[in-house]
Amino acid sequence: MSLRFPQLLTQIEGLGESAARRAAEAARKLPVALRSIDEAQRIGRDELTNRIRRAGERWRGAHPTDEPVNVVFGLPPHPSRLNVIGADGSQILPDRHAPALYFLINIGSILIEQGTGSAPRTASEAGVFYDDADLYGDSGDLASPAWINGKRDVAEMETLARLAESCSGAPTLALLDNGLLLWLALQAGDQHRKAVDRLLAEYLQHLTRLRASGVAVAGLVDRPRSADVLALLALVLAPEPDPESSPAISPYRGLTDRALFAERLEPGQRSARFVDSSPVNRDFETVGHQIQFFYLNTGGAHNIARVEIPGWVAEDPKRLEWVHAGIIEQSKTTGGFPYPLVRAHELAVVTAADRQAFEAMIEQSLIRRGLRPRISQKAQTKRWTGARRRHRV
Amino acid sequence: MVVTQVPIGRVTRCSTRGFVGAVRLPEPDIPAFGGFCVVETQHGQARVIGLIYDLSIEDDELARQMASAGDLSREQLADAQTNRQVPLEFSALTVGFAREGTYHYTLPPQPPLTLAEVYPLDVNEVHSFTERFDFLPLIFGADRLPVDDLLAAALKQASLTYPEKQRLPYLVQAGRECARFMAADLNRLENLIRSLQT
Repeated sequence: MSLRFPQLLTQIEGLGESAARRAAEAARKLPVALRSIDEAQRIGRDELTNRIRRAGERWRGAHPTDEPVNVVFGLPPHPSRLNVIGADGSQILPDRHAPALYFLINIGSILIEQGTGSAPRTASEAGVFYDDADLYGDSGDLASPAWINGKRDVAEMETLARLAESCSGAPTLALLDNGLLLWLALQAGDQHRKAVDRLLAEYLQHLTRLRASGVAVAGLVDRPRSADVLALLALVLAPEPDPESSPAISPYRGLTDRALFAERLEPGQRSARFVDSSPVNRDFETVGHQIQFFYLNTGGAHNIARVEIPGWVAEDPKRLEWVHAGIIEQSKTTGGFPYPLVRAHELAVVTAADRQAFEAMIEQSLIRRGLRPRISQKAQTKRWTGARRRHRV
Repeated sequence: MVVTQVPIGRVTRCSTRGFVGAVRLPEPDIPAFGGFCVVETQHGQARVIGLIYDLSIEDDELARQMASAGDLSREQLADAQTNRQVPLEFSALTVGFAREGTYHYTLPPQPPLTLAEVYPLDVNEVHSFTERFDFLPLIFGADRLPVDDLLAAALKQASLTYPEKQRLPYLVQAGRECARFMAADLNRLENLIRSLQT
């Protein structure tokens, strides 16, 4: 054990006090926000949209949809048969201390034919990337963690699309353990724009396949930190928003949408739908996949998730019901987080032991070709100091 | 090496005194408590013979959560019992080794290697290996093991390799051999003999 806990005691106390201060501050603001959501409905969608426009291009928040912003939707009936697909991914990032330069993406997936009693179809599919084109791309820089995460997101969506196309005879819900907007596209600057655009196009193509296969798709964000709806509610308090104002001076700073909807939603209920104002959503909207979201109480004590769906799911009452009822049904035994995503993660995760075994196989392959693989001395010294286990009878 | 059999599992950790193996899903009958098993060592020059003394299913948080949730769907139950990795860990005590066609009733020079395949010991080999009772000292010498239950299970398994009429004489002889080790504890001996009779 290398942490010297006595040294940390003061800082731990400070951390606790800071968290308590923030919680008290949030609790003070919450009643105002709760009143604002009804006020927002009274103002109406048109006026809210005008205020968003007046707030300027830099404003980020939730746009209202055709659903009243303060409405709460109860749990719809679950179909007697529903196919539920979950996909999740993990990766090994390139490591210059390893015996060879590569990265690996592993996608875990599960297809549950709810209502049949049969064992679900599960899979773990890994890909190893070691060519220069994969490792260095157009720029010549080694693939960044963000880029590899983007490739993983695309692979997850491809898996959902492929499994959805294999389903027939029952409605199908495809679930992703993440938001639906491609995170890489949100983060990328101009430097790698072309490469990012290629990945984004691929991602959107898989979304199009999902739409064509007739399924509902949703991305679930557990314990979301976003405050998009609160940004909209801030406009209720500011009829003439200042386009130059910073989000840091929001009256609801420190509060999250999750805290707001934990007070409003009973288990099984969802909020109204909203549109994400992220610039990337314009790219999605251009090809008919505008991303909307709602908050859902998935059960347990105030377990609020943010559920992201494409517009073609949002505006199709049947598909929207599959998302709502399907997530709640699948979350019953796992404390409010859907079982297919629990299992997809389990099937995807690359453990330290997996990685060690995989690298041993790489070393063997190199040796068979007359190469002498070596990890770096730094990596070797880390192995020396690692724990060991002894067999005892 | 007997290669026609299906392996029980693979070695995960080991020493000369014994080894631990894991298998994804147990077969209905193997591995079983008191069963003989065999695994290669020294690059196939020798085979370590083990006696399975413990079987355990590894701890799993998700299984605990699901068990306490109660309202499991049929699909989740099927997933847990069919798909999910439920590694069964079995521990074996080394009771001898075979090299160049000869059994040695001592500890082997080296333990098997990690991930070596563990096979059930072929019935003919169980017969040959247990004809002599020289494997008993290594069992009696094991600390903190359920020695008496292990002996009873192993000896009864060995007796089944004989024609029916010879089984009782074999067990009687085995009881006599055990009596030499248990002379100071007649209650234990009596329990063992009772176990052999059932």
